[in-house]
Amino acid sequence: MANILQEIEQQIAGAKRGVAKQNVGTVREIGDGVAKIEGLTDAMLNEMIDFGNDIYGIALNLEETEVGAIILGEYTHIKEGMECRTTGRLLSVPVGKGLLGRVVNSIGMPLDGKGPVKSDTLYPVEKIAPGIIKRRSVSQPVQTGIMAVDAMIPIGRGQRELIIGDRSTGKTTIGIDTIINQARLNRAAEQAGDKSVRPLYCIYVAIGQKQSNIVRVTNVLEEQGAMPYTIVVAASAADTATNQYLAPFAGAAMGEWFMDNGMDALIIFDDLSKHAVAYRQVSLVLRRPSGREAYPGDVFYLHSRLLERSARLSEKAGNGSLTALPIIETQLGDVSAYIPTNVISITDGQIYLETDLFYQGIRPAISVGLSVSRVGSAAQVKAMKQVAGRIKGELAQFRELAAFAQFGSDLDAKTQAQLERGKRIVEVFKQPQYNPVPVEVQVGVLWAVQNGFFDDVSVDKLKDCQAKMTDYLTSRKSALMAKILKEKALNDALIAELKAAVTEFKQTYR
Amino acid sequence: MKVSKEARHVARSLYRDSLTDGRLDETKVRTIVSGLCAAKPRELIPILKTYERLVRLEIERNTARVESAAALDTAMQQQITGQLQQIYRRPIAAEFGVNPELIGGVRVRVGSDVWDGSVANRLRELGAAL
Repeated sequence: MANILQEIEQQIAGAKRGVAKQNVGTVREIGDGVAKIEGLTDAMLNEMIDFGNDIYGIALNLEETEVGAIILGEYTHIKEGMECRTTGRLLSVPVGKGLLGRVVNSIGMPLDGKGPVKSDTLYPVEKIAPGIIKRRSVSQPVQTGIMAVDAMIPIGRGQRELIIGDRSTGKTTIGIDTIINQARLNRAAEQAGDKSVRPLYCIYVAIGQKQSNIVRVTNVLEEQGAMPYTIVVAASAADTATNQYLAPFAGAAMGEWFMDNGMDALIIFDDLSKHAVAYRQVSLVLRRPSGREAYPGDVFYLHSRLLERSARLSEKAGNGSLTALPIIETQLGDVSAYIPTNVISITDGQIYLETDLFYQGIRPAISVGLSVSRVGSAAQVKAMKQVAGRIKGELAQFRELAAFAQFGSDLDAKTQAQLERGKRIVEVFKQPQYNPVPVEVQVGVLWAVQNGFFDDVSVDKLKDCQAKMTDYLTSRKSALMAKILKEKALNDALIAELKAAVTEFKQTYR
Repeated sequence: MKVSKEARHVARSLYRDSLTDGRLDETKVRTIVSGLCAAKPRELIPILKTYERLVRLEIERNTARVESAAALDTAMQQQITGQLQQIYRRPIAAEFGVNPELIGGVRVRVGSDVWDGSVANRLRELGAAL
């Protein structure tokens, strides 16, 4: 009780102190989540403006006689003529491990009804990306668990890999599968007490999505046991454009905390097309000049400054990393639209998903020809490089030959063999959603494909054969799989062992 | 009201013409307004409104609105005016008023700067802190 009295006395003493100068302004205009304020002569760019009653805004336009501010939260309570004041603070969000397993909004407030977020650290939403001295090149892989990605478009920790495609082609699924695989790896390392494995924490930022979709994603993450390693930042279609504009920056701030503290994090921005649309709305209401497709002139900078924040830090700077997987939705496969080209040029490669492939049953519907990873191969596991090195080329050759083969029936034996191999590679890369494959199994299967062990299996039976082989390798040859995982490369002894295992399996397979 | 770029530009240049040694000159303001009304240029109303706004902001910048819970005596008024001129290093005209909602103390506003030493404000701060 005495403590409470002391605290109150301290507060009273504080309140008695001298009068401090405040900088105030008067709301001149309010609408669409944007306020025009007269006064506020000392306001800084991106400073929080206090409107009273726990309503805050952010100063985005500093003009000669007025300030344009976007309102966070319910703007209908703000009236013309109301007084507001500067706070001297930048918008910050809570960060830290206390957010793992939580669903929060753009300002870090919980949305999941699990009580307040446990965090005593705040990070500013807008932060300058780490400079060149603090960085190092990408050298550690992000295992997505998706065979086609890990084999042909490898992603490294600290990389920015764009996932691009039309609506309902499986863009979100690639992100969710990656999160699920990280949770699987993190949990396995925790259970084995393996300190050498660096856990990868995930942040899923939902921008402008239907609330039902966000619920579906969080339910999947819960069911797959991925939530304990994941933060979901949600700014749904029902949220204001301001909150949608801020959500990816808030997510990036949460990811930066892991990076700054020597940990690894992965952030998925789902999706940046809607983010650009939200920013366009804010900019137009602020009466900023519009450019191509009515987007403001700084929409490129908006995404470049966001994605530049993902980095791989040097040993001196803590050795942390932040990997970004931005998602862009194209319209009718048009990758040359304004926002897609912007983000393609910012990122270190893209995974391009095609509607045609999706409906042909090739899922994930990755277009191998248009997908590329510019830096990821440096981070790819050596064993994977050994078995998958030629696959991308073979697949490209297959597509070319398949188109050519449509015109003629008489094909030489070599071409026919190439076509048959290509069909099997395509089949092997088909994978159901939420079903990530461990890297050592991927190596085993791809080695078998490369060495012709699937050549005598008919294409329609191949998935069945692959599933049985995966089962065989994980249950009966788990020691071999563990060795591949530990060695991370296929030496002669391992190859001999793998050959013996696959031959043994083939003899028993019917 | 939508004000065009040209109207804003004209109003700003007229405002600059209304200054003498960096301070607003009342005579010039009157001359400009009457001249404008007589000449009736295009977009007269937007120009006048923008001009009026610039003049109003300048007047507010040089005027202190002092509110207190009870009326202040002349000595106190002079003391406040003197202190404000010391802070801003320019002549500040003071307007004194009574606002019982402040409960006690004084609230001074010069342009967008506010010194709020009222009891009402301190109670508000105390409430927020607790």
